[in-house]
Amino acid sequence: MTWVRTKLALEALRPGDVLDVRCRPGEALENVPRSAREAGHAVSVEGTTIRIVRA
Amino acid sequence: MSEGASRRGFFRDLGKAVASTRDALAPDAQPEPPAPPPPYGGLSDAEVERYARQLVLPEWGAAAQAALSEADVLVVGAGALAAPVASYLVGAGVGRLGILDPDVVEVSNLHRQTLHFTPDLGVPKAESAAAKLRFLNPDVVVEPYQVRLEEDNAAALIEGQDVVVDCSDSFATRYAVNAACCAARVRLVEAGVLGLQGMVMSIKPGRTACYRCAFPAAPVDAPSCADAGVLGPAAGVVGSLQALEAMKLLTGVAPALTDGFLQVDLASAGFLRVHASRRADCPDCGKL
Repeated sequence: MTWVRTKLALEALRPGDVLDVRCRPGEALENVPRSAREAGHAVSVEGTTIRIVRA
Repeated sequence: MSEGASRRGFFRDLGKAVASTRDALAPDAQPEPPAPPPPYGGLSDAEVERYARQLVLPEWGAAAQAALSEADVLVVGAGALAAPVASYLVGAGVGRLGILDPDVVEVSNLHRQTLHFTPDLGVPKAESAAAKLRFLNPDVVVEPYQVRLEEDNAAALIEGQDVVVDCSDSFATRYAVNAACCAARVRLVEAGVLGLQGMVMSIKPGRTACYRCAFPAAPVDAPSCADAGVLGPAAGVVGSLQALEAMKLLTGVAPALTDGFLQVDLASAGFLRVHASRRADCPDCGKL
């Protein structure tokens, strides 16, 4: 569900905008970066914060 | 969309009426601060959870969901094709779905008309279908009509619809639906199924070939389902394609199957796309 919410939040942003997603350690911390990269966004992960630059 | 028929519109109007009454009764009361807009593209948490598996699709998203939730759809017929059509549209979150059928549930319907169950025998099909659909998704307004669509009432039934999905089982009804949708410029998804074969066609009146452009006259001595039979899964496949076409027309997430039809032969698992063009002499859409 975290990726669904992240995807919807990204849809509301403009290309180049940055979205920080804070996750608890676990599945979402692996799934969200992978799904975001597959969708074409630039992604970096630091600790439990996923930084996504909207494509 | 006809605003008055929308559940969202109903509650919005109800909210205004309540606020107006409250202000009249207590003019000095401080108004409550406006609630923050729901996050996630205007979708509530409950909507995100319910529609998560379609929202996550690259082709879908908040805009497609909003387009669907604002749409009024009329399903003509509450039988074998209508079961997947209505189930998928209501499940996906269409705004309002009208479903019409003049008949009652008979035992010979049950092998393929999956919205009707044995305890529903004798119940009007539109009511039986609506009851299941309301359980499926209480957020959708479902309106049953126990009426037969004919030439003289088609225009009134179709008025204000965003898309009509024709799940009827007679050529006379199909041509009446096509003519009324063309006259009102309401988008239409046509389909038919018999035995192990079927067809599906989307129509944007005035822009793409209509049903009569593709099939200028009904076939002579065409057998009915009662005569020739039909397998439930064949109707399920064709009805599912019809539901998908309706969702494409309403949201634009993929090009609809227009200017032709998809011929489905489920005996050989063959799908053939047949081209059709608009006809200048078409009595239904030639003047549009």
